[in-house]
Amino acid sequence: MTTEQRKPLIEVKHLCKSFKDAQGNMEEVLEDISVDFYEGDVAFIVGPSGAGKSTFLRCLNRLEDATGGQIFFEGVNILDNKVDIDRHRQKMGMVFQQFNLFPHLCVMDNLTIGPVKLQGLTKDQAEERAMKLLERVKLADRARSYPNQLSGGQKQRIAIARSLCMEPDVMLFDEPTSALDPEMVGEVLEVMRELANDKMTMIVVTHEMAFAREVANRILFMADRQILEENDPVNFFENPKNERLKAFLDKMI
Amino acid sequence: MRIREDFYLNFIKDDRYMYLLSGLVNTLLITIVAVVVGILLGFLLAYVRTTHDKTGKWKIANAFCQLYITVIRGTPMVLQLLIVYFVIFASVNVPKIIVAFIAFGLNSAAYVAEIIRAGIMSIDKGQSEAGASLGFSYTQTMLYFILPQAIKNVLPALGNEMIVLLKETSVAGYIAMNDLTRGADIIRSQTYSAFMPLLMAAAIYLFFVMIFDSLVKKLERNLKNSDH
Ligand SMILES: Nc1ncnc2c1ncn2[C@@H]1O[C@H](COP(=O)(O)OP(=O)(O)OP(=O)(O)O)[C@@H](O)[C@H]1O
Ligand SMILES: [Mg+2]
Repeated sequence: MTTEQRKPLIEVKHLCKSFKDAQGNMEEVLEDISVDFYEGDVAFIVGPSGAGKSTFLRCLNRLEDATGGQIFFEGVNILDNKVDIDRHRQKMGMVFQQFNLFPHLCVMDNLTIGPVKLQGLTKDQAEERAMKLLERVKLADRARSYPNQLSGGQKQRIAIARSLCMEPDVMLFDEPTSALDPEMVGEVLEVMRELANDKMTMIVVTHEMAFAREVANRILFMADRQILEENDPVNFFENPKNERLKAFLDKMI
Repeated sequence: MRIREDFYLNFIKDDRYMYLLSGLVNTLLITIVAVVVGILLGFLLAYVRTTHDKTGKWKIANAFCQLYITVIRGTPMVLQLLIVYFVIFASVNVPKIIVAFIAFGLNSAAYVAEIIRAGIMSIDKGQSEAGASLGFSYTQTMLYFILPQAIKNVLPALGNEMIVLLKETSVAGYIAMNDLTRGADIIRSQTYSAFMPLLMAAAIYLFFVMIFDSLVKKLERNLKNSDH
């Protein structure tokens, strides 16, 4: 089955994003980006620092307001101001570099507050769902701990579980292991690997090249405000065409 | 003995201690009601101000709140009290204590608003982004994630505001309100001895300030020790 035969889960059309700089001038960060993501995709986005990878990812769930273009998520243009973005965000989980767990809530409440407040689950139903996820990230014994009693790797696994607890249709990861001590990277990647094996649709920004090559079904190279190249993992690394990508890979490996 | 006679004259004779006691009750009442009014209204002001700062919405409401806070913080409390009593309630007959509730509450709100606003602003942006990314609205994110953390951070500052307010209420005598300070002053005017009643009033203020202060310190310690 080729990706073209499936209906895209996310269609990005001519996405543009500019930021105002200190002098009040508009500085373009994303320049006319068009790309589709399909159900079951494990798409990795790599590229040099400042390329706009985070901005792109954050435009997908409108944490950043795009300056132009359209993003269709499950058929709805979510950049339309009339759209209730909160409802769509429930279907798009996001994992941050800095975890952003809620420090005043215990692990269990971090996971259940969304399903209870937004999806109308009872506390028992939500806790049952949460417990399964905690087992999946191997932290069931920490359900009553508070975030600052956890290590970085544990925090990130909880953050992933928290997003999954909303039962999203796609998961967005922005450098999920960049803030971790090296010895904790593995445990988070392990969770992500299992997630990919379970056919979760994932869009991942990362600098972990080996992991991208192992897990991704497509890798996108972002630089100079654009997606300059995209390929399957093998060809991405073995036969890069774009000069910027070649230089980037040379530096990484 | 001089002191014993003085004490008898100023506090026991004619039940003069009642001036202090009823004054103290009024002082505490004004403080507590004003703190409650101040916190409720201060919340509202802070909510408008931070919502404007974060989203750019509510320009006019924000400008009004900003003006309010600037004026209240930029003018003396006594003057505000006189204006509420003699200007705003000039033609209506309201009990003085109600006037005091309102005047001190309105004043406290401006200070509380700035305290809470600072608390909200001190919470990492990642918290609202995490809330939003799960599908919580701006208001829900504020309610479930930002405010609980912000309030915890500013509880000691709010406690201090209450201490300041307790002492501030001593100007209530300007509208002939019988508070603790005025109670002492009435005794002084009756007995022609200033030392005893004024020092007694001062000691009572100090006593309550120290109680509040130790509560705030205890709170601070508990917050610091608590893991979350
Ligand atoms: N809120 C903002 N205001 C102004 N400029 C911004 C803002 N966020 C990002 N930028 C700018 O946009 C550009 C792209 O930033 P972005 O964070 O998307 O890059 P990135 O590819 O994620 O980089 P990194 O690998 O370092 O995370 C950078 O030049 C950055 O300075
Ligand atoms: Mg980034």
